[in-house]
Amino acid sequence: MSLVIKNLHARVKDGAPILNGINLEIPRGEVHAIMGPNGSGKSTLSKVLCGHPDYEVTAGSAELDGQDLFAMSVDERSRAGLFLAFQYPVEVPGVTNANFMRAALQARLPKGEELDAVSFYKELRSKMKQLGMDPKFTARAVNEGFSGGEKKRNDILQMMMLNPSYAILDETDSGLDVDALRIVSDGVNAMRAPFRSFLVITHYKRLLDYIHPDVVHVLYQGQIVRTAGFELVDHIEQHGFDFLKTSEE
Amino acid sequence: MDSPQNISMEEAFALAEAEAKLSAALLESKERFSKATMPDRLNEDWRFGRPHVYARELAARITAAGQPRQAAPLEQDDDLRQTEMLMPTIGSDALLALHLEHFGTGEAHYIEENTTTPLHVSYTAATALTPSTFIMVAPGIRAEVEITYTCADSSCIFATCNIQVAEGAELRVRVHAEGHGTDARCMLITNIQNMGGKVAHLTSYKSLRWAREETVAETYTPDSETRLFSANHLIGEAVLDQHTKQIHHSGGATSDLLYKNVLADNATATFAGNIYVAPGAHHTDAYQSNRNLMLSEDATVNSLPGLEILADKVRCSHGSASGPMDEEQLFYLLSRGIPHYEAHQLIASGFLDEAIEKFNN
Repeated sequence: MSLVIKNLHARVKDGAPILNGINLEIPRGEVHAIMGPNGSGKSTLSKVLCGHPDYEVTAGSAELDGQDLFAMSVDERSRAGLFLAFQYPVEVPGVTNANFMRAALQARLPKGEELDAVSFYKELRSKMKQLGMDPKFTARAVNEGFSGGEKKRNDILQMMMLNPSYAILDETDSGLDVDALRIVSDGVNAMRAPFRSFLVITHYKRLLDYIHPDVVHVLYQGQIVRTAGFELVDHIEQHGFDFLKTSEE
Repeated sequence: MDSPQNISMEEAFALAEAEAKLSAALLESKERFSKATMPDRLNEDWRFGRPHVYARELAARITAAGQPRQAAPLEQDDDLRQTEMLMPTIGSDALLALHLEHFGTGEAHYIEENTTTPLHVSYTAATALTPSTFIMVAPGIRAEVEITYTCADSSCIFATCNIQVAEGAELRVRVHAEGHGTDARCMLITNIQNMGGKVAHLTSYKSLRWAREETVAETYTPDSETRLFSANHLIGEAVLDQHTKQIHHSGGATSDLLYKNVLADNATATFAGNIYVAPGAHHTDAYQSNRNLMLSEDATVNSLPGLEILADKVRCSHGSASGPMDEEQLFYLLSRGIPHYEAHQLIASGFLDEAIEKFNN
């Protein structure tokens, strides 16, 4: 049971290649981190895996527990257990958080089965409390008028409600103050389980100090060029990414 | 008109007088109609409105239906007719004259006490119906009114509505027109006169082959606040033709308009709005926004927001935005496992909810 990416090549539609042969395996229960300089393809990888229409896969494969990920539509991938916490969560005017979550959970139920409204709201409020969110947010439009930190918390709330098997966190730490970072990290850590994996994309050590990853990868020019343990995070923190250029020379 | 038997002399005189008034009114209406020019393609207020088709067909349907007059004049017939005769239209004087000639039903409500539940006014057309509604809210009174128009297939409703709101009064009016079948049509002419109160007015049109709205909102005193909303999901071959005027006769008043449409299939929406600020009407706040979400490349939007400001020291704005569904919004919903159809529905209804929420609040 794992997310297996083999020789993945992808590009912006009709544009330049960005991913140039990524190989990665994330077994369930593990937390992997991806670091890398700007423009190395970290966010592209997350969007390609989730099926963003701006990108096209030109070669390679990705399997989610043995299922061909690229044969699935965007919504099917989510229902199969994949989740993306966005770098820039989108505002959806007029659609309340509660209705949004209800629709997402309803879509996971067998045909003809209705979501139980009482237990839904109970769970939603409990998770919001855990993340330090105002209960009034249930009636507010998704991310509309939210601060950057509130948007990130809202994405983590969605993750907690949807209970995915594989969660990708794309720079979830950007825009979070110290307290919010701790709350969000606590939320993620509370979800760590043998049946769930995380792929944490970040520039900074501070998030990884909270969410201690099992494996750390460095993405550079669209390829995974280093894989190691947490010591790699310390190395990058101290020396930056210059070692990549040196090894290139 | 048949005279009832066994009535007193006094009653007979009253009936005769009413009949004479009605005949005079009918004559005047006919004369007015004969002098007025039916809208044609040169009429700027019917720009994009296909008057040679829709206006003429509306007139033909009403004439053909031979709308019967009431056996006896309505108790409030005079008020309804007299207010209607003074109504401004936006390019449809001839059609209003036709309405005057044919209206046979209507309701007048003089609201002098606060209402806790909405007052319902409902009209249903089997072939053609030309109702008239008059709502007057007394000073300091809070009220809510819901007006519903229902059209059977191949029928039409051509309605007028006069609303007068006194100083300190608060009125919310929700107007909903709905058709059945494939060829129901509706035209609404509304005049709102705000004398220092607060008015919120929401229109919505559903399952109509064609609908035209002419709404003139006039403010006469400072501190008047008029808010106009419309929210519509147009599908199939639906045509919605909306024309509005926010007229500020005096300064210090506010008007705000938000008209939103979601268009699918081959639907067409036309919006032509005008904010008019009279000379000397300083410190006016007036806003106008028309926004359209286009779900189909075959849908059409014609949006013509406008300003005519003859005073200084005003805050006025107008704007229009039409475009397809935001791909990032759609991806966001899909990425949470919401199927494509439901995601579209959520975004579309969310788009319209802004107008409905603002009306409710």
